[in-house]
Amino acid sequence: MAKTVVKIENLVKRYKELIALDHFNLEIKEGEILGLLGPNGSGKTTTINCLLSLLSFDKGTIEIFGEKMTPSNYKIKKQIGIIMQNVAVFNELTVYENIDYFCGLYITDKSLRKKYVQEAIEFTGLQDFIKFHPKKLSGGLLRRLNIACGIAHKPKLIILDEPTVAVDPQSRNKILEGIADLNRNGATIIYTSHYMEEVEQLCTRIAIMDKGKNLAIGTKDELKKMIKNTETVTIEVLDLENSIISKINNLPHVYEVNYNDSKLRVYCSGGKHNLVRILDVLTQNNVPFGRVFSELPTLNDVFLEITGKELRDKED
Amino acid sequence: MFFHNFKYSLKNAFRQKEFLFWILAFPIILGTFFYVAFNSMYEKESVFNEIPIAIVENTENTAFKEVIKELSTGKAPMFDSKFTNSKAALEMLKSNDISGIIYVDSELSLTVSKDGIKQTIIKSFLDQYQIRESIITETVNNNPQNLQSVIDAMSQEINCNENLSLSHGNMNTYIQYFYNLIAMAAFFGSVNGLYIAINNQGNLSAIAARKCISPTNKLTSITASLLASFAAQLICVSIGITYILFTLKVDMGNKIPMIYLSGAVGSLTGVTMGFFIGSFGRLNQNVKMAISMSVTMLSCFLSGLMIGTIKVFIERYLPIVNRINPAALISDLFYCLNIYDDYKRYTVKCVTLLILSVIFAIGGFLQTRRKKYASL
Ligand SMILES: Nc1ncnc2c1ncn2[C@@H]1O[C@H](COP(=O)(O)OP(=O)(O)OP(=O)(O)O)[C@@H](O)[C@H]1O
Ligand SMILES: [Mg+2]
Repeated sequence: MAKTVVKIENLVKRYKELIALDHFNLEIKEGEILGLLGPNGSGKTTTINCLLSLLSFDKGTIEIFGEKMTPSNYKIKKQIGIIMQNVAVFNELTVYENIDYFCGLYITDKSLRKKYVQEAIEFTGLQDFIKFHPKKLSGGLLRRLNIACGIAHKPKLIILDEPTVAVDPQSRNKILEGIADLNRNGATIIYTSHYMEEVEQLCTRIAIMDKGKNLAIGTKDELKKMIKNTETVTIEVLDLENSIISKINNLPHVYEVNYNDSKLRVYCSGGKHNLVRILDVLTQNNVPFGRVFSELPTLNDVFLEITGKELRDKED
Repeated sequence: MFFHNFKYSLKNAFRQKEFLFWILAFPIILGTFFYVAFNSMYEKESVFNEIPIAIVENTENTAFKEVIKELSTGKAPMFDSKFTNSKAALEMLKSNDISGIIYVDSELSLTVSKDGIKQTIIKSFLDQYQIRESIITETVNNNPQNLQSVIDAMSQEINCNENLSLSHGNMNTYIQYFYNLIAMAAFFGSVNGLYIAINNQGNLSAIAARKCISPTNKLTSITASLLASFAAQLICVSIGITYILFTLKVDMGNKIPMIYLSGAVGSLTGVTMGFFIGSFGRLNQNVKMAISMSVTMLSCFLSGLMIGTIKVFIERYLPIVNRINPAALISDLFYCLNIYDDYKRYTVKCVTLLILSVIFAIGGFLQTRRKKYASL
């Protein structure tokens, strides 16, 4: 049984009227990459700031590495690396100096620090930019610097708060690969995001949160099993009578049917030959149809079912 | 840890463009400007004679008469004064025979026909007289033998304000401008102090939040940053002083080490005050910058660094402000250096400034030391 690294119990955080965290629970085991998935304003950053003892909270307990987390628990703090949502670097210092500065807050031994800083630079691929000032870096490079500053001291627990916002897909992949590497080297990782694909690709376990609550947690397969939906069939149909729609609706395993924009969407729960059965109905009634898709549930479906809303806008 | 923070705070300070401008470039540029502007004026009025004035007495004022008499006689008299009526006085003013007319009514008032050093001196004399009026009246009535020393003190203050070493025949009116410049530059260290607060208080910036969650002792890292800012400030102000003293060759008297010391004390007050102001409230960085700049400017303004007579005005109506306004105290340091041969008054001002600095530093630290915030 792996050791518990983080244990958050019944965490409540209020900002005046607003309840940002509502009896939030979370347990993270050593070696995990835990994805904290939730829409804007769901309380991801708040959770992390409470975890770090940067924010005071109204109720609940937080343990890290089996000890109560407090602002002066330097033993725990030494082992945490944080990559904040907002880039936090000194504009007046170069890339190298920034990494050295933040690493120096953790590592006092000079030669060891030099080695670590060098490794962080290589890890984030910033070799060609060490003399640059942050203002001269592109958005993606700046994010990478932000990451380098957070992980140079080789922490055992790494927390990344939406590190890929405003980063192009190529840099984003680099960052994701890097995080997987850190995990392979033994770090436990907390990763917050509102991009499902990222979380799905990277995380070993995913917690879905909304309105300050932890609604579901598990591997992506476990999460997908939690919901009713097992298959969504989409068929392009130009014209469709209501009687046929209700025929489809009455098929076994079908629990919802939508028809708009010349697209027929059929949501199924369990069963094996759903697609064939639906197409049979259409053919028997001489309804011509175009392209046909059958999709397994995505995290978005999971999110949709659990919270009743899409994780994010389509154009996002 | 201390040294690490010190080193990077120092680097940070020297790369801050606003900082370098206000503390290094500004005094040098303005100093050069003063030097060029005043040197030409200085030549025109370089020979100092007593200033011709007319006094129109509409009301009998024995004390004032005594003082004028004293200042118009002796080895190096300040004034060449004539008591006359209003009409004759105006005639003389028109034909430039006198530099100004003092009317003695229930209040004293001055009429001049143009602006110049002589006019400024008369004005300054009147200001000083009005500040001390009650003491002078009292002295004339009860201890006339002490009048001379009261007048001496007063004319020294005038010399100092207008920077005329009358007694030594050295007519360098404008040194005060350079003193003010140094005082101002030192005091602008507040900009740098402000960044210490912003970079260490978790709810003020992302950098500060990041520092807060690192395993570092806040007192150590803040002390290191304060000292680094002070050092940066000191270096810049010293460069400014050196430039004024040795490149422009402005004669600031023979207490040169003390001038540097005053710069140092002023810098310390500036840095700690900025830190103190910065540590209060949760405002946007630029707003804080603006507030800190305004407080600094206001403080300079009230101390007469911009318009000399403001200080006199405050001395008259709200003297306490001059006792605790840091900018006034810093400029006083220089006045004292210039006027008094003993260091008693200088030491008092110096100690006051040091106490203020300690209060600022501790106050700022108490605000900043917190590690957990209700809101970020
Ligand atoms: N300082 C604050 N004062 C008041 N309310 C706040 C404060 N910080 C956050 N909130 C509120 O708390 C809720 C949770 O915010 P939080 O920043 O944790 O969300 P998030 O999941 O990190 O969102 P995002 O994806 O946008 O980063 C939001 O409704 C937000 O408006
Ligand atoms: Mg957030």
